[in-house]
Amino acid sequence: MNAGSAAPELSLRAQIDEFVRDLANTFANILFAVSLFAVWGVLTLIGVIVDQNKDPSFYTANYAPVLARVVLRLHLDNMYHSPPYIGIIALILISLGVCTFKRVIPARLPPLRAVKIEHIPLNATLEVRGEERDVRERIARFFSDRGWQVRKRELGGVEWTFADKHNWARRGVLVAHAGFVIIAAGTTLYWWKGFSGTSAVLTGNTVTIPQTGTRVTLDRFHYRFDPIKTKSGIVYQPIDYVSNVRIVGRDGRERATTVRVNHPIDVGGTLYYQASFGHALNLTLTREGKAIRGVSTAPLMEGDAVPIPGTPETIQYERYVGTIDRKTGQPGPDPRANNPGVVLNFYEGDRLAGASLVRLGQSIDLGSGYRVRAAGSILYSGFEYRHDPGIPLVAIGAFVLLSGLCIAFYFLPARLYVRVDGEAPSWHVGIAATTVKGYDIFEEQFRALVEALERSERPPATAPVPQGQRAPSPIPG
Amino acid sequence: MSIDQIFILIAISAYITSTLALLIYLLSRERWARTIGIPFAFLGCITQFVELFVRWQTSHIWPLTNLYGSLSLFSAMSVAIFIVFALRYDLWFLGGFVLALAAGFLAYGLTWNEGYLPAVPALQSYWIKIHVPLVVSSYAAFMVAAVTSVMYLIKYYFEGVLDARLGRTGGLAAAAAGTAGSGSGDLGLRMQAGNPAAERVTISTLRDSPNIAIAAAHGDMLAQWLATLPSLAKLDVMTYRIVAIGLPLLTVGIITGAWWAKEAWGAYWQWDPKETAALFSWIIYAAYMHLHTRGAWRGLRSAYISVVGFASIMFCYLGVNIWISGLHSYKM
Repeated sequence: MNAGSAAPELSLRAQIDEFVRDLANTFANILFAVSLFAVWGVLTLIGVIVDQNKDPSFYTANYAPVLARVVLRLHLDNMYHSPPYIGIIALILISLGVCTFKRVIPARLPPLRAVKIEHIPLNATLEVRGEERDVRERIARFFSDRGWQVRKRELGGVEWTFADKHNWARRGVLVAHAGFVIIAAGTTLYWWKGFSGTSAVLTGNTVTIPQTGTRVTLDRFHYRFDPIKTKSGIVYQPIDYVSNVRIVGRDGRERATTVRVNHPIDVGGTLYYQASFGHALNLTLTREGKAIRGVSTAPLMEGDAVPIPGTPETIQYERYVGTIDRKTGQPGPDPRANNPGVVLNFYEGDRLAGASLVRLGQSIDLGSGYRVRAAGSILYSGFEYRHDPGIPLVAIGAFVLLSGLCIAFYFLPARLYVRVDGEAPSWHVGIAATTVKGYDIFEEQFRALVEALERSERPPATAPVPQGQRAPSPIPG
Repeated sequence: MSIDQIFILIAISAYITSTLALLIYLLSRERWARTIGIPFAFLGCITQFVELFVRWQTSHIWPLTNLYGSLSLFSAMSVAIFIVFALRYDLWFLGGFVLALAAGFLAYGLTWNEGYLPAVPALQSYWIKIHVPLVVSSYAAFMVAAVTSVMYLIKYYFEGVLDARLGRTGGLAAAAAGTAGSGSGDLGLRMQAGNPAAERVTISTLRDSPNIAIAAAHGDMLAQWLATLPSLAKLDVMTYRIVAIGLPLLTVGIITGAWWAKEAWGAYWQWDPKETAALFSWIIYAAYMHLHTRGAWRGLRSAYISVVGFASIMFCYLGVNIWISGLHSYKM
């Protein structure tokens, strides 16, 4: 390789090095991290305000047309799983990592150096008497007795005393950053190895969980709503949702158990939760009094629809009504089964043609000889299952994060610079203080410390001074 | 009138009395106003905690399952946190604002009081006795911090008015000439007067703009009032200290909430509006703490962030509960 081609190569490498250095400095910058926090915050807020994970028709129906278009085109309807959102979290984690290695870990104890006491905003001077060695020893002992780590150095021919406190707390930020990393690792572990899902089981039926092969049979589901008299009237307060199930795990052993809200069950490391319930509907469709072939007889869940063969029409089961008011024929507030019915929607193509409240056991005429009958309902229980091997890591990370925050917030690493000048028997003691959080936060402690030092150096009181006479000053001049 | 209603009436009356007395104290620094305000603040706070306990014992229903109960605790905790800081750092001059807000939130909470409603299944967990008090306490701490920040902004504004009137350098020159004590130049340092050890000890501390002392010495009432307030640096430190209580509480609150969510709903994080709004607030206060490590961001900017943070807390607490439906829509 000749010299002519080596020069531009070095230059390119230097440029790359400089670029990497600049990039690392940017990511390690606190203002950059806070800017990322701000963007993260704004995106999070958008996710709070904009309804998430709804059908596109929801946005067109409920939002202004322009807003609906913006929401759908920018994918604001699924904010928390959108690439920009995940990207900003990734950038924050990168920033956190770079900052940890470039700023937090290298931030060691500042070197012991001479300072101009009066140039440090928190400074004090006091006059003490005694032999130089005694004065220095007394001052060093004063600070070490109060938990300060005292070191002496001769710098430029002057003897300095340095006192440090809570130096270990400088690592609080590092601990907090480590907590974040552990939480991120736990979350990643779930994405990598975990799974979750939902399953609705009709009373008396069995479902198999695809990921584990576990079979869940719902023997009975029951709920309890209590009518409570409030200032606004009767409120039907949900009190309990209970599923009596039999579960067969991978070991092939069947066990009967109960699943309640807040009381999930653990089957082979997968947790099963009581998530929802509902009333499945047995719908019978007839024409001229005869059952129509090809129409599914499976119970419908809320939101399910059945097409009417040979027509563009469909019937959708919208919701279950526990109590139909016998006087008005309208849905009543009581969700408990007492004159129950269902709301059915009728569609022509995509167009909603009408809706009807049908009592259970009754039928309605759809025209052209068609009749639909709400034959009966079956309770079903909705389970959520989740296998998350990252939870212990997330818990540890949360604990570490919290510990880091507490260390960083409640312990204040501080350093005192002490210099003794003068000539025997009178000495000027200059003290200055610096902390990692500036001066203001340490002002009160500094004042208290200096005043305590002054008191400790004050000569013992002699005979009481009679009223009207001046006490002799312990300090000449 | 039931026993808990009597307690509420006592609490609100005590808060109103304390508010008026401490507002007078803020404006006049009359000792008698402070002497009246402090016991009433204690009375209102203790009465509120007693009311919550009585409500729990008489109904056998944990009182924090609805907005009324949580607002009641929020109000009581904000006064309790304020009292702790006021006792430690002599912040009674802020009491008028804190107690007025506490009374306002308690009164607003009463509008959501529908009587004794048993908890819905999702709230029937021991976690409600851990998670809700933690989160509500963090909100309360942030409220007190926001009040300190508002006081900072008020003082900053009026200091600016005085500086504009007297000129920034005029004050220092006068201070150097001894008009207002011995100043020490660019850092605005001043020898501490009134120090019991002043004869033998000189302690430099960070204090007000010299213009306040100059104008106060010339009889300016605004300056005389400003001089009674702690320095901007102290108000900033106070806000930091209160946020340093609130942020760990919010962090533990979010963590315990996540743990509860794992038990109740199967996932520790579901991007529910309440969760994400709490995360948003956490981000703001985390940014506050990060920025406070930089000298340039202490003071005015930090005060603004604290106020914005409390606005986000209010959105998370009341806005999400009332206007946005989700897993945390527990109004009644």
